[in-house]
Amino acid sequence: MRILPPRLPVRTVYPIIEAVPAVNRARASAFAAAFVIALAVPAAMAPTAPDLPPMLISRQLAEQEHLHAGDTVTLAQDPRGTRARQFRVAGTYEPTPDPMRFTARRIEARMHLPDLMAIAADPADPAASESLSAINLRLKHPEDAVRFGSALNARAPGLVVRPTVRARDGSDPFAVLERFHVAVATVTVLGSTAFLLALMVMRAEERRETIGIIRLIGISQRSILLEVLVEGMLIAVAGALFGIVLAVATQGLVNHFFQWRYDTALVFVRVTRVIALQSIAVSVPLGILAGLAGSWALLRRDVLALVGR
Amino acid sequence: MTAWGLAWRTIARSPARSVLAVAGVTVIGALLFNMLLLSRGLLVSFRDLLDNAGYDIRVIAAQGSMAHRPPIADATSLAEAIARLPEVESIAMVRTDLGQVSAPGVNAAWTPIELIGMTDSKGGGWTIVKGSPLPTGPSAGEPPVVVNTTLASMLHLEPGSRLRLRLTSAGSASALPLVTVRVIGVGGFAFEASGDLNVATTMAGFAVAHGTPADRQAEMVLVASRPGAAAPALAAIARLRPDVRVLSNDQVMAQFNENAFSYFRQISAVLSSMTLAFAFLLIATLLTMSVNQRLGEVAALRALGFPRRRIAANLLWESALLVGIGGTAAIPVGGVLAIILDRILRQMPGVPARLHFFVFEPRTVVLHAALLALTGAVAALYPIWLATRLPIAATLRREILS
Amino acid sequence: MTGAPIIEGRGLTRSFAMPAGAVTALGDVDIRVDAHDYVAITGPSGCGKSTLLHILGCVDQPTAGSLVFEGRDVSTLKESDRSRIRLTRIGFVFQRFFLLPMLTAWENIELPQAEAGAAKPARRDRTRELLDYVGLAGRRDHRPSQLSGGEMQRVAIARALANRPALLLADEPTGELDEETGAQIASLFDRVHGDGTAIVVVTHNPAVAARAGRHLAMKSGRVITS
Repeated sequence: MRILPPRLPVRTVYPIIEAVPAVNRARASAFAAAFVIALAVPAAMAPTAPDLPPMLISRQLAEQEHLHAGDTVTLAQDPRGTRARQFRVAGTYEPTPDPMRFTARRIEARMHLPDLMAIAADPADPAASESLSAINLRLKHPEDAVRFGSALNARAPGLVVRPTVRARDGSDPFAVLERFHVAVATVTVLGSTAFLLALMVMRAEERRETIGIIRLIGISQRSILLEVLVEGMLIAVAGALFGIVLAVATQGLVNHFFQWRYDTALVFVRVTRVIALQSIAVSVPLGILAGLAGSWALLRRDVLALVGR
Repeated sequence: MTAWGLAWRTIARSPARSVLAVAGVTVIGALLFNMLLLSRGLLVSFRDLLDNAGYDIRVIAAQGSMAHRPPIADATSLAEAIARLPEVESIAMVRTDLGQVSAPGVNAAWTPIELIGMTDSKGGGWTIVKGSPLPTGPSAGEPPVVVNTTLASMLHLEPGSRLRLRLTSAGSASALPLVTVRVIGVGGFAFEASGDLNVATTMAGFAVAHGTPADRQAEMVLVASRPGAAAPALAAIARLRPDVRVLSNDQVMAQFNENAFSYFRQISAVLSSMTLAFAFLLIATLLTMSVNQRLGEVAALRALGFPRRRIAANLLWESALLVGIGGTAAIPVGGVLAIILDRILRQMPGVPARLHFFVFEPRTVVLHAALLALTGAVAALYPIWLATRLPIAATLRREILS
Repeated sequence: MTGAPIIEGRGLTRSFAMPAGAVTALGDVDIRVDAHDYVAITGPSGCGKSTLLHILGCVDQPTAGSLVFEGRDVSTLKESDRSRIRLTRIGFVFQRFFLLPMLTAWENIELPQAEAGAAKPARRDRTRELLDYVGLAGRRDHRPSQLSGGEMQRVAIARALANRPALLLADEPTGELDEETGAQIASLFDRVHGDGTAIVVVTHNPAVAARAGRHLAMKSGRVITS
């Protein structure tokens, strides 16, 4: 659960030191450079490292600025050094991947709130030290999040209270993307069905004479249809399983590539059990039906026509 | 008989198979066409929105970005200095804040809105559908406002209606005055998302709502340069104030392209590649099966003296006909699909209602044709290899014995 | 035999590599075909008749031996040159006809002429002439599926003659036909031979073999009588 000022973009909840929303990589580097003014201040002039307030820096920041645990850094509100304070780098962390800004280079740090206030709050503004961007709540009963949010919204006009669970009305970006992907998948299935039918028709044509001979010697249409059905089912199941294996392998490749490309731990593609089962549920019946459809026209033809007489 | 004539006869010989194959290419081709449209659609559409707003340079505070714009120090002086530059045709100052409105007499709770203050009422992305635009000069009495059509519909507003307005500035605890404003127009804002509730007013009106009539703040200065003087204007403004960021429309585009549009570019690239791989596999499979069914014919043609290149040409034409007919039909089918997919994606929150994800460009048709042609050619390689390398005598013997 | 031969093979041998060991389908065969020859090759199944015919037709290459076609050593020719010989100098008739099913009788006969580069008027005249020659002028627009076996073979013979070859090779041309139809085909071969084309036919049909001027009997890949 998050409580926000009204209609602010979510990004402003992050501490000042984080890259400003929609800032490109060059800008992020500039910000980081501007904020981190001095490294490893000479010991004679500065408090000793253990006395300094600790902060955690993102892995990306550590790599960019070649920082390690134990280093001393100076943070300020702006490039001029306003309200500069020293911090000890207590460690690095992997930023929680944010799919809404996966292209942004995560040049960020975390510290205790009073330490951030000491840098960010304008001492001339008495309310500054009382202002927050957002408050995160963990409820005792998380299932009540929506109801609690509505009640709090009603009691505190001017605030935005938003559960972190996805909205059920289908308006959140991921619901829209899901619909988009389903539409694309539907089109792909249509295209492959057409091709599958074409292949099945070809396969049936190849066996035209064989089927004709089988029928000539007295095997019933029903038996042949059953054989076609079983064959179709075996091929469809094998194909579907192969497809799942291929999807899982591709998933790994896609994730590896984009995680490398965007230097993120975000998982872009995940073949879940539900997705695998849905794929099998669509492809197996389609495969069986395509096999039947391809053979149907052949089975209805005259026996002599099948053997070319 | 020419190679393409023979290829046509071969395809027409099995109408069911050929129609299904062409249908498959059409559907997959339509998907490919859509993904190619998507790869640039947002850019083109966003560019249109930017250009139609009437300004080609945007000035913001150095610490900000297009999505997050802190106030520019001494914005009015800056705007006046920019307006005096010989390369500049016109300017407009913009500031925004969040607020709430209530229509007197209507039993409605306070409705959250975004208030936009501008010095220029002509452009800036507003299109008036009812009433009149904001006045250019000072106006007496209640501050004039233009509301967007969604808000007007929600609160039953017409030109002449009155609204109570109060700002709710983020991040500060303050009691801003309640201001009564007069609706003089209803219009659409180019960058508004569906569901957005926007109110535009003059800078003077904004300052009144802010409780600071002498305020000279702005968060963005829009600049329209004289024709052909965009680059010099950009440089001149940057020299005026090093503490601001000066962005051309191209640079704004680049920023959004890198950040906001990146997902769609990537998905377009991934899906286009997969579609092409899919088309390649299927056409190659179809042609290979077709060749395997006709090995006797092929061997007989080779025995009769048809050279390998002629056999290869026949197969290449078969592929070209399947892909060509399917690819051509894919364009109108893709167009319909684009409308459907665009409608889905535009449901995303925060997306300007006039922004489109799929935008038709002639170059997309050319790229689509080239990609499909290449795929068809590559897909024909293995069947061509099969057909041209088959052992003629052994194949004839096998065909006779079978 | 007078003049240079159309085709002459010496020591022709053809072996096939098999998993169980190499099989020699043709062993050290000499053959010579002159202009106006009509040669029938007979023998039991698997004796190498078709293999010999394929080598003579430049469809297959011998493992050993030499083959000279109209004075050119075939083993030194590129595949494109061998194709050209097959297209313009040799006509091939198959047991299973191998007509293109999607083309009409007219188009099947016209096809090799177009490939050889003949002009359209010349192709038209030649195709009409050949259809008359084989007695199928009234079936010109019929597809193979609409023709009987004998008719299909006659179209195949017309196709083989389209580019006025010096040599006609026929592999079991009556193998798929009944006796009466086979006799019709045999008569057609007589006519072709009488008009100056050398013929080499592989056949089991005594009626066809009887009309040939020369006989080659084969057994186990070798010529036993000539």
